[in-house]
Formats: sequence, C-alpha cells, structure tokens
Amino acid sequence: MDIFLQQLLNALSLGGTYALLALGLAVVFSIIGLINFAHGELMTVTGYAVCFALIWGLPFPLAVIAGLAVAMTAAFLMERVAFRPVRGASGTTLLLTSFAVSAILRVLFQNLISARPIPVAIPASLSGVVTIGPLHLGMIQLISIIVTLAMLLGLNLFLHRTMAGRAMRAAAEDFAVLRLMGLRANSVVATAFAISGLLAGVAGVLWVAQRGSVDPLMGALPVLKAFIAAIIGGLGSLSGAVAGGFLLGFIEVILQAYLPESLLPYRDAFAILLVITVLLFRPQGLLARKTLVKL
Amino acid sequence: MKKSKLLMLSTAFVALASAPLMAEDLVIGLATAQTGGLAPYDQPNLAGLQMKIEEINAAGGIAGKFPIKTIIKDTRSDSAQTAMVAQELVDAGAQLIITPCDADPSIAAGMITQGAGIPAISFCATTPTLPLAVGDYMFSNYPADNVQAAMLAAHAIEAGYKTAYILTSPDTAYTLKLPQYFGQVFTAKGGSVLGEGTFTMGQQDFGAEVTKIAAMDPKPDVIMTSAYEPDFPAFVRQLRGAGVTTPILGSDGIDSPTTFGLGDLVEGVVFSTAGHPTAGSPLEAFNAKWTEKTGAAPDTIYIANGYDLGNIIEAAVTAADSLDPAAIREGIANLENLQGVTGPITYKGTNGMPLRSVSLVRIKAGDRDLVAQGQPDPADIPAP
Amino acid sequence: MTMPDNPLLSIEGLTVSYGAVEAVRGIDLTVRRGEIVTLLGANGAGKSSTLNALVGLAPRKAKRMEFAGTDLTGLPPETIVRRGMTLVPEGRRVFSSLTVEENLMLGGAKHAARGNPAQVKADMLERFPILAERLHQKAGSLSGGEQQMLAIGRALMSSPDLLLLDEPSLGLAPQVVDRIFDLIGNLRDRGLTILLVEQNVAQSLEIADRGYVLANGRIELQGSAEALRSSPEIQDAYLGA
Repeated sequence: MDIFLQQLLNALSLGGTYALLALGLAVVFSIIGLINFAHGELMTVTGYAVCFALIWGLPFPLAVIAGLAVAMTAAFLMERVAFRPVRGASGTTLLLTSFAVSAILRVLFQNLISARPIPVAIPASLSGVVTIGPLHLGMIQLISIIVTLAMLLGLNLFLHRTMAGRAMRAAAEDFAVLRLMGLRANSVVATAFAISGLLAGVAGVLWVAQRGSVDPLMGALPVLKAFIAAIIGGLGSLSGAVAGGFLLGFIEVILQAYLPESLLPYRDAFAILLVITVLLFRPQGLLARKTLVKL
Repeated sequence: MKKSKLLMLSTAFVALASAPLMAEDLVIGLATAQTGGLAPYDQPNLAGLQMKIEEINAAGGIAGKFPIKTIIKDTRSDSAQTAMVAQELVDAGAQLIITPCDADPSIAAGMITQGAGIPAISFCATTPTLPLAVGDYMFSNYPADNVQAAMLAAHAIEAGYKTAYILTSPDTAYTLKLPQYFGQVFTAKGGSVLGEGTFTMGQQDFGAEVTKIAAMDPKPDVIMTSAYEPDFPAFVRQLRGAGVTTPILGSDGIDSPTTFGLGDLVEGVVFSTAGHPTAGSPLEAFNAKWTEKTGAAPDTIYIANGYDLGNIIEAAVTAADSLDPAAIREGIANLENLQGVTGPITYKGTNGMPLRSVSLVRIKAGDRDLVAQGQPDPADIPAP
Repeated sequence: MTMPDNPLLSIEGLTVSYGAVEAVRGIDLTVRRGEIVTLLGANGAGKSSTLNALVGLAPRKAKRMEFAGTDLTGLPPETIVRRGMTLVPEGRRVFSSLTVEENLMLGGAKHAARGNPAQVKADMLERFPILAERLHQKAGSLSGGEQQMLAIGRALMSSPDLLLLDEPSLGLAPQVVDRIFDLIGNLRDRGLTILLVEQNVAQSLEIADRGYVLANGRIELQGSAEALRSSPEIQDAYLGA
C-alpha cells in the first residue's frame, strides 16, 4: 500500500509536468489553431538562460526568474517573427512553420552554444529527501507537485478573474467575435504566447532541475509527451490538456511500476496503446470542445 | 526559405572543404554528426583527430609523403543521411571513411563503404557486433561494450558484491546490451542479478523505477547501468533522493562534465572509460599539449580518442606504404600493440573491434581516482 | 432629426471574394443616421458577406468605404468596432462557456480604458431584465431568444453608432421574433442607426425606412420600405401575394 501511494505521488509529479507542457500547447492551439512543436525549444531556451545566469553569478532564485522571463520573451518573439506572418493559414502551414522554427533553433543552439550538454549547477538543497510518514519524496518532485498546482491555480484565477483572461477564454471559443468586442487580435495572441512561454519556462526549470544539464535537443521528448497529453485531453481544451497530462503521467508510472519485467521494454508501446484505446472511445479526446469556430 | 538557406550554407561549406586534390593526398571522408544527438560525441573526436592531422601535415604527411585531405560532411545524427553522405564521400574519392559514434549510422554507412571496398572506422561505436553486421572493411575505435562490461563485472566481484540490479534502456544497443553483458559476466563469476529495470531515454522521471528499487527486498549490493546524459544525472538524483545508497557502476557514456558537476550525488560511482591520465602517461602528456593549444583542458576522453584514431590511420598507411584502400584495410587489420595516447591498441586477431585497455575510474570529491586499468581476462569477455 | 445629406455609412463598389468565389460583386450602399436599412435577398445572395466585410471580418475591396467620415479601408475589426460600428453576427455566437456577465463585460471591454462600463452595464440590464436574472449563468445555458438578447446587449455594450444585425430572428419562435423586432424599433427610437439583414422580409420592411435587395452579389432593387413592399418582384418572391 505504501508503495502504491508512493507511486501515486510519482504519477502526480510526472503528470504535473506533462500537464504544464500540454497546457502550454493548448493555450496557443485553442486560439490560433497552431500546434507549436517549437514549444520544447522554449524549455531549452529556459534551461540555457538559467544555466548562463548561474554561471554569471546570479543566485538560483534570480536565475529561475531570469529563465522564465527569457522563456516568455522567446515565445513572444516566436509569435512575432515566425507565426504572425502565417496566421490564419492552413493547419498544415502552421504545423510546418513550427517544425521549421524548432529545427532552426536546435541548429542555432548546437552551433552557437554547444552540441554537448552543459551542466547546470542546481543547488544541493534541491537534491534532498522529504519524508512524510512512510513516503519518500525527492525535493524536486515535491517542488514540482507544488509548483504545478500553484501554476494551475494561478492560471485558473487569471482566466476567470481578469479581463485578459476572459478574453483568452472567449478567443478560444470564437476569435472572430472577440475582435467584434473591440479587443485587439494581436494582443490576445501575444498574451497566449506569453502564457505558453511561462508554462514552458516553469516546466523547463523543473525538467532541468532533474537532469542537471541542458543540451540542444532537450525539448524533443517533452513536446512529444505534451502533444500526446493534449490529444488525449482534446486539443484546444485547457482542462482537457491538464487531465490528459495527469492521465499520461499516471499511465506511464503505473505501467513502469506494475508491468512484469519481461514486458517492461514495451512500456511506451503499452502507454500509447492505452492512449489509442482512450481515443477509440472518445475520438475528440476526454474533454473536447463542442464547437470550434475558426478565424 | 530558411531551410534552403541552410542547405546553401552547408553546400558552400562542403565545396570549400573539397578543394582540388593533390595526386599523393590521402583523402579521408568524414561522415560525422555536427548536429543532432551524436554531435556531442562526434565533435570532440573530430577535434582530436584534426589536431593529429595538422601535426601529420606539418611534418609533410604520413611517412613524409602522404599529406591528408579531409572532406567533412554532416550526418545530422540520422542513419539514412549517414548512408547518403557515405555515398557522396565514396564518389568524391575518399580512400578511408570515418563514421559516427554509434553502431546504427555506422552500419548504414558501412553498407556503402563495404560494397565500394573502402575501409571505414567508427569514431567510437562500442557495439561489438558492428563489424559482424558490415564486413571486413568495418572497424571501430573504442573498447567494445562486452570488454567494458567484463572489466566492470570483474571489479564488482573483487569489491565483494554478491547481488546486482541492472537498469537498461531498449532505445539503443549500448544502453541495453552493456548492462546485460555485465549481468552475464557477473553471474558467470558467481554473482547474481536480482532484477532488470528499464527506462526510456530522454525521460526525466525515474520515480516509478526508483520506488521499485527502494522497495526491493533483499536489496542489491550494486546497481549497474549504461544510462548517460540526461538520464544518468536524473536517475542518480532521484535514487539518492529516495534514500537509496546502493553503490552504482556506470560505463563510459557518463564520462562528462555534467556527471562531475553532480557533487555528492555521484561520490563513489565507478565507471569504465577509455583512458586515465596517470602521472607520466602519454594521456597526461596529450592533455597538456591540448591545453596548451586550445587554452582549456580537454573535458572528455573523446578528444584523446579522436587523436588516437589519427595515430591508427598514420600507422596503418605507413605499414601499407600505399593509398590503395585495400592496402590501408590490411594495414589497419594488422595493427598490433600500437601505442596510442589512451593506451595500447590492437586490431590483429580481432573482427574489427580493437583490443584496447579500459580504465575504471571512481569519482572522488569531484575528481577521478583510478581503480583499475588494462584489458579483462579474454575468458571473461562474453561473446557478442 | 435625420441628415439625409450626411450619410453615416457610405460604400461604393464593395466586392467580397473568398479565393475564386465572388460573394459580393461591387455594390453601393448608404445608411443615414437614425435609419433602419434592411438588406434582403435569397440564401447566398451575399447579405452576410456584406455585413462581415463592413466590420472587416471578410476579405474585401471597395472604391470607397467611409463610416462617420473616416476611411474604413484596411482597418481591422477591432478598430472599426472602436470607431462605433459593430455587428451582431448570424447565429448569435455568444461565448457559451462564459457567464452572461462575462459576455457583457467583454462587450464593454473597449470602455475599460474610458471608465464608464458600470453605467453602460446598468442601462443594459435595465433594458434586458432577463439578462439581469441570468447574470451568473453560462451563456450556453440560455434559450435561443435569451442568447439573441445577450448578443445584442453585448454589442450595445460598446455604445455603437451603427449596429449591424445579421438574421436576428433566425430559428426563434414567432412570439420571440416579435419581441426582437420590438427591440429593434426601440433601439432606433433611442437614436441608434441599424443595418438589418433578415429573411423575415415582411416584418423587416414594416420596421425599416429603406431597403436593398441583393441577388448573386449585386443590388437588384432598392428604395423606400413602402416602395419595396408594393413592388411586384418583392410581392412575388417574398411576400407571396
């Protein structure tokens, strides 16, 4: 039982990170119909920013803040430079644009920074263990659960209590009509990207804190997981993305924990199989939006 | 648009590198990863090799008469691209081809070079079956997985470990087979493997796996894994975070600054690598030379490993006294006890995976402490 | 009251094309202050495209496009709305997952900087008591008629000078349709100018001052409401006399 509880906590921690990532994808998709595969590179940018801030001598908390600021700026610039010119184009065009942005950034990281991983000096205090009764929880795991919940709560408050948040929800439902409210399309989209950047930044810091290094290809796997989570949840649905993230984390952890040893190498295949099963019964995802009005 | 610019750039780069060739030049085609997942391994090897080539050319070429020309092309860490690049290099007249630091793209390139009768050497692929998969024109330049595993297992027995847990990833031959070879040798020498866990490469979360290990009863005496960046740091952090203090054995993939940057978490970890700069050793001298030239100490053994590849090429071509690819192949295959900066290197009597010494290093206060160095007992080395 | 020589909206040669398809093929249109003007025509005649083009939601070209003395060419919807012309789109398109109150708040968003949204909202709730009752319900849970009230109320939150209404009676029960037309008359009486697209030709011509009949993206007929009501074309095609 204790082990099961422990695994549940593990699932919560992993699922939380997936949820943040999927949410970052969903925030942008819900508004302009773009699946931003360069979302992973926003994590990488964050990692480099934290890394260089630490090398530069900033204390860890300031380095994290710098990392998040860089992530938001990078997301903002991505929108301004790459995605605004193709806004309203077909889904395929948007998708290919995001692949190109991702590939270009990776090559730039490799050629301008380093192809090799750069170590990030994560403070030793983050490597500790917290013991709650019979449960052991790594400091970073605990932080990642707390930060995820805080982010979800904060985003929820933002979306429901502020005008910009209401505008985002409305834009996700019907962007054209939102413009009839006199709200600038560009600023709504920019807000969406900034939020997406913040989410990627937070996930990036958590990711880097666990791995202890940054490399140019770091973002590849997480963005894939985020994509799967967002699909499970129903692309474009924010609560769906969160649910999808937690579900994917839960599936992965439980399979890792309880698959017999001989089947363990096929864990990811089983995880994807379960995802497909979910989609067979809910082709639109768990919490699909009922209407999707495009620009 | 942006893509085509990149393409033009790389084409221009290749055009520059392939300036008109002299009749007596040895043309080495380098199909190496400048971008992608293998770049961190190919680039330091390439840097080391280029240093050796500069030295050779400064002395008037190999044996004073064969200057080296290189054609360098990016494989983007992609096997299909590696095969394409290999074909281009063959067409460009390369007499020797260097392939990336992994078996899969090396096999892809090997299919081309074997057919063309041109010898190919992988920078640092460690999969012992690589030459078997390609043929007699394929070589590698690093201690093979089974050799590293035998050294590690011998050390484990000597250290008094009775039981082990191995952690593998089916994602690459290296992360899967090396720990399994270790398990084979460890079992053959009287130890027992209590279990085998798996992980997905690039996946940060080892929570589920660590919880399983923490709950094992009885606990293993040692954990062996070939996980490397970013998996190894994440694994160690979470394992130690869960209060598990079981000793860890690793392999050469973790010989990186990130590992040493983990501080107390990796204290006592023992891993296998291709060399260790003991006082007065050739490697120490090489490191000093490199530091003098570049202003920074080498941060990985792969630089010296690439330099040794230059030594191998020099010795093989000298022995062949010819630029005929078949003669160069003969030259490599008959090298025996060549003194490289990382230790003695022998190809004679092997299938193409060299016999080289392996160093076992213990991490101690952020520094290296040599545990053992040499070659394992041939009887211990498991068949590939 | 009206100023016939100073039209609020004046359009010349408006075309709307979606790729190769021309939905509107060069129409001229004038709306004077205080008028209700109605656009009539069969399905696909180009009525909705015209309205969408006027607020900048459909790709448009025109020789001249002036609203309250300013050139509309190239302006995005948000700017046009801020200048005082807004659209209640076909199918109501309320933000169904937001509450009634939030819908109204967004409608008044452009006032956020000017600082009188509370007053506008109070007026609105007085005019639509049903919305006051449902203030904290999700807009999606309202009935069709209530949603139409909300859509109009939301548009009025921006205090427009010219309101474009696209099929406000579509899909509503007859009594509700009557109430919507009463409301439109009411709005005009309070000084609002209205351009109305309707399929309910009889009721539209009753309330309107003037009208245009569109067919295949061109204006086929125009004139005062009485003249149109008695014209044989309208009689035959729409009024079934």
